[in-house]
Amino acid sequence: MLRFIALAAAAALAAPAAWAQDKVKIAILGPMAFAQGENHWAGAELARDEINGAGGISVGGKKKQIELVRVDTNEIQSVTDATNAMERAITRDKADFVIGGFRSEAVLAMQEVAMDNKKLFLGVGAADAKLGGNVEKDYNRYKYWFRVSPLNSPDLGRTIFTVLGTIAGQIRASLHKETPKVAILAEKVLWTQAIVAGAQANLPKMKMEVVGLWQPSATATDVTAELAAIERAGADIVFTALSGPVGIVVGRQMGERNMKAIAFGINVEGQKDGFWQATAAKGNYVATLDTYAEVEMTPKTIPFVKAFKARFQKAPTYTAATYDAINLLKESIEKAGSADADKLVPVLEQSNTVGTAASLEFTKTHDPVWGIGKTTGIAVQWQDGEKVPFWPPQVKGMKPFKLPGERQAKAEPAK
Amino acid sequence: MATSLSFFARRAWVNLRNDVLVLPSRTVALAWAAGILLLPLLRDDPYLLRIVAMTCIFAVYAASWDLLAGYAGQVSFGHALFFGAGAYTSALASLELGISPWFGIALGAAVASAAGVAVGYLCLRLRGSYLSLATLAFPLITLGILFAFPERSGGELGVSGLRPLFASRTANYYVIAVAMLALVYGLWAIADSRFGLVLHAIRDDEVAARASGINTPRYKLAAFAISACAAGIAGALYAHFMRGAGPSTLEVGLSFQAVIWGIFGGVATIYGPVVAVFVLYPLTEWLGSFTAFGELRLLIFAVIVLVVLLFMPRGLTPWVRDRIETPCPRCKGPSAAWRATCRICGVALHHVPRVPAAAPSPPALTDPGTQRASSRLP
Amino acid sequence: MLQDILITGLVNGGVYALLAMGFSLIFGVARIVNIAHSAFYMLAAYCLYTLLTYTGMAMGLAALASVAAVTALSLLCYRLFIEPVRQHESAVLIATIALGLIFQELMLRLFGGHYLGIPNALEGVVSFLGVTIPYQRLLILLIAGASLAAVWFVLHRTRLGLAIRATANDLEVANLMGMDVRTVAMATMAISVALAAVAGVSVAPVFVVDPFMWLSPLVTVLAVVVLGGLGSLKGSLIGALIIGYVEAITVFLLPQGAFLKGAVALSIMVVVLLARPEGLYGVAFEEER
Repeated sequence: MLRFIALAAAAALAAPAAWAQDKVKIAILGPMAFAQGENHWAGAELARDEINGAGGISVGGKKKQIELVRVDTNEIQSVTDATNAMERAITRDKADFVIGGFRSEAVLAMQEVAMDNKKLFLGVGAADAKLGGNVEKDYNRYKYWFRVSPLNSPDLGRTIFTVLGTIAGQIRASLHKETPKVAILAEKVLWTQAIVAGAQANLPKMKMEVVGLWQPSATATDVTAELAAIERAGADIVFTALSGPVGIVVGRQMGERNMKAIAFGINVEGQKDGFWQATAAKGNYVATLDTYAEVEMTPKTIPFVKAFKARFQKAPTYTAATYDAINLLKESIEKAGSADADKLVPVLEQSNTVGTAASLEFTKTHDPVWGIGKTTGIAVQWQDGEKVPFWPPQVKGMKPFKLPGERQAKAEPAK
Repeated sequence: MATSLSFFARRAWVNLRNDVLVLPSRTVALAWAAGILLLPLLRDDPYLLRIVAMTCIFAVYAASWDLLAGYAGQVSFGHALFFGAGAYTSALASLELGISPWFGIALGAAVASAAGVAVGYLCLRLRGSYLSLATLAFPLITLGILFAFPERSGGELGVSGLRPLFASRTANYYVIAVAMLALVYGLWAIADSRFGLVLHAIRDDEVAARASGINTPRYKLAAFAISACAAGIAGALYAHFMRGAGPSTLEVGLSFQAVIWGIFGGVATIYGPVVAVFVLYPLTEWLGSFTAFGELRLLIFAVIVLVVLLFMPRGLTPWVRDRIETPCPRCKGPSAAWRATCRICGVALHHVPRVPAAAPSPPALTDPGTQRASSRLP
Repeated sequence: MLQDILITGLVNGGVYALLAMGFSLIFGVARIVNIAHSAFYMLAAYCLYTLLTYTGMAMGLAALASVAAVTALSLLCYRLFIEPVRQHESAVLIATIALGLIFQELMLRLFGGHYLGIPNALEGVVSFLGVTIPYQRLLILLIAGASLAAVWFVLHRTRLGLAIRATANDLEVANLMGMDVRTVAMATMAISVALAAVAGVSVAPVFVVDPFMWLSPLVTVLAVVVLGGLGSLKGSLIGALIIGYVEAITVFLLPQGAFLKGAVALSIMVVVLLARPEGLYGVAFEEER
């Protein structure tokens, strides 16, 4: 009897110790006080609960549960805080994998810390091409970096022009113009340069006339001057490449002035649910690239978006792709049979998985492969308070693109 | 050989006992310097070393601000310009020109110094708040220029991918720690010298200083140059530690941090801001490591600053120093506060209230023994 | 294009004038560089947002309530944090910086880092000389003008204003003459922050509301006030117009350099300071010690 009790006690004592080793520690790094960090964490929590509920990750035959470490990088306010947080997550909290990041300047610095420690760093949020460029420059050091989301900025440009091509016909028909006039409104930052150059080169080839380039600062609170000049130039389309709050100001002030031009391009603030309120209901017809909507980009999209909305009462933005990152990690670990970073790198490089927004494949620079059927993103438009997806038009759930006021488009979606 | 070593060792011990250990503030400074240097041997924690290295870098930055603002009276709200100039220059030099990081740091310091002279020159005729608010403009103008040439400066990303000075974290730490000790000591020595005295005179009354024949513009420019040079070195070390330099090195927030650290620690002391950085920076980092309230770190920091300011309006170190050391009423030299007599001239340190002659006891009052003892030198 | 520049410059200058007036007043009278000035502007905007969204009050009433609340808060802050350290200028300075940071972090905690929008008080646009001007902007101009007139009236036609000007001129003598310097300082603080709050409720619908919205107006206000001369209301007005026009010209003449408008405005400020070290209409405080 006594031996039985002793054995049971020993087992009870040993179990937590064994339990502690049966965990895969994943650090989620992001600006937790802001929407981007909140989405990082939300997507990760969703993935963790689903995977742990199904038994966990099978590492070389043993089932291990995921333990998430929530790390606030405060990167929007301080790059130093972000690198400190990364180092703390790796050396103090002993994370096995790090996922997240948002502000490109901070992610570049965080990347250095992660590579110093040879930890797999899955980027979810920073679009800058240099992060992938480092992989090419010094493969042995930077091979542990993979970008899950979003597309790098040059590839975002490719999506925009494809979408523009799709809706150009619709625009020409409504405007009764063969060569619509386009005003480029892009922030003066590095990531827009490729897109602006691409616009200036491609738009004339697409039979559209570029009437000017305006480059406000990302935090500009007033674009009256720019919009007045754009109106004077008679633009029909305002091609936007905006990631900061200036996107809200553009939407609102365009609506206030009843501008006849339509805003389309990248408008990161326009991807958020709060955009309608932030523009005081004036940001109608603003169209932008986006990542998530209740459309069937992949079989996983609609269930993910629905589950996210049900649990967190808000729609996911692109930083919620931590869900995909964790699932990708799980698949790769199970395929490689180990959680060792060096063993996982080649597996990740070869991966071709179905994510919630796109199919995930990686290029030589560890960026997502661009292509219809792979990763392209979607395009959405704000219509009377709702963010309506309209591209790619052949995907189930897409609605038609609308033009403002009396220039109402025909009912069927453009090809 | 052995005898000369032991001679120096004895000399050092005598100096230590007589000059350093007699005053609590100097003892603390020595212990702190020893602690900084011995830290990697005690705890081999890369995260801890990172935090202390960052603290050392910002300590140099804050001390350099104090030389300019506390001693020369040029309260600069744009000190981040020099930090960022040092960071960007050394980063670009290492990457584009491929020169050794050490030369890069020297180049960064030189460019920062030149920037200091330029800003100083433009602000020569400005006084008081005008000077402060004008200096605010310079980092912002520089940011505009950097954003105008994103291919060269990296735009919002800055420059990245630098080689660090050494491969090991400990070696990098030692470079920064030794540099910090040397620079802070150097700044303090400059402030304590005749040069610092002249700066003080300029701060207190520039017109009177000029009337005394002091070439105030030259001294002001020199103060700007030295201060900017130190801040530039801090920036360059920062860039090489972080392996990159971005627009965050020129932010308004960083300029305000220098002001906060300087005033919180106590202006016109050099060691005051250093103490402030060593207290506040690890504290905020430690607060930030808690998942529960880590996001409140800036709020707690601001509240601490505000509350401490109410009790110590002249700053932290003057308040602490007043508690642990007392100046002698006669020779003005500092002595430990718990002493009864001054360690230099023997005068009673603390005012002893005179006992009213209600109950006369002649022997006690006129005891020759006590009289002579109080005037004896130690 | 010319009328665009003329009108845009005027409208934006009006916004800056409204923001700068209060700052100039508190500095001119109490010699306090109130870094938290634009933070009070932010608080008023958030207060208005909260009242409009959660209580459904009418715009005018909510605006008045916000101004009153923020002014009262500022008086509390003054009594608790600034008055005890009035003797130490540098301590006052970082007390105001710390206050600004505290307000920022509180708003971040309460509302998150999301951008919020406040509906306009007046909807619609008017077309003047071919330039589209939203009514809200005209309202801001009107409010700026009215505030300027009100402040002038208080300063030059009331006893309180006389006391304020006296203490600004010579604090010690005013005290000796029997004026309650403490009350005057608090009154000045109240007027100054009230102006900031009025700016907050009228300008916030035009800009986005977020916890960091106080930083860039701070820089602009500092530039305006320094350019016009610290302590001079006329100077702040002229400085605001200059900065407004410089920014409008930059954007219209150099569309690709629109992001530089802030840097250009600051450069103009530096240039003016080189020529006139006390700003355009500033008073040199040489006799102050």
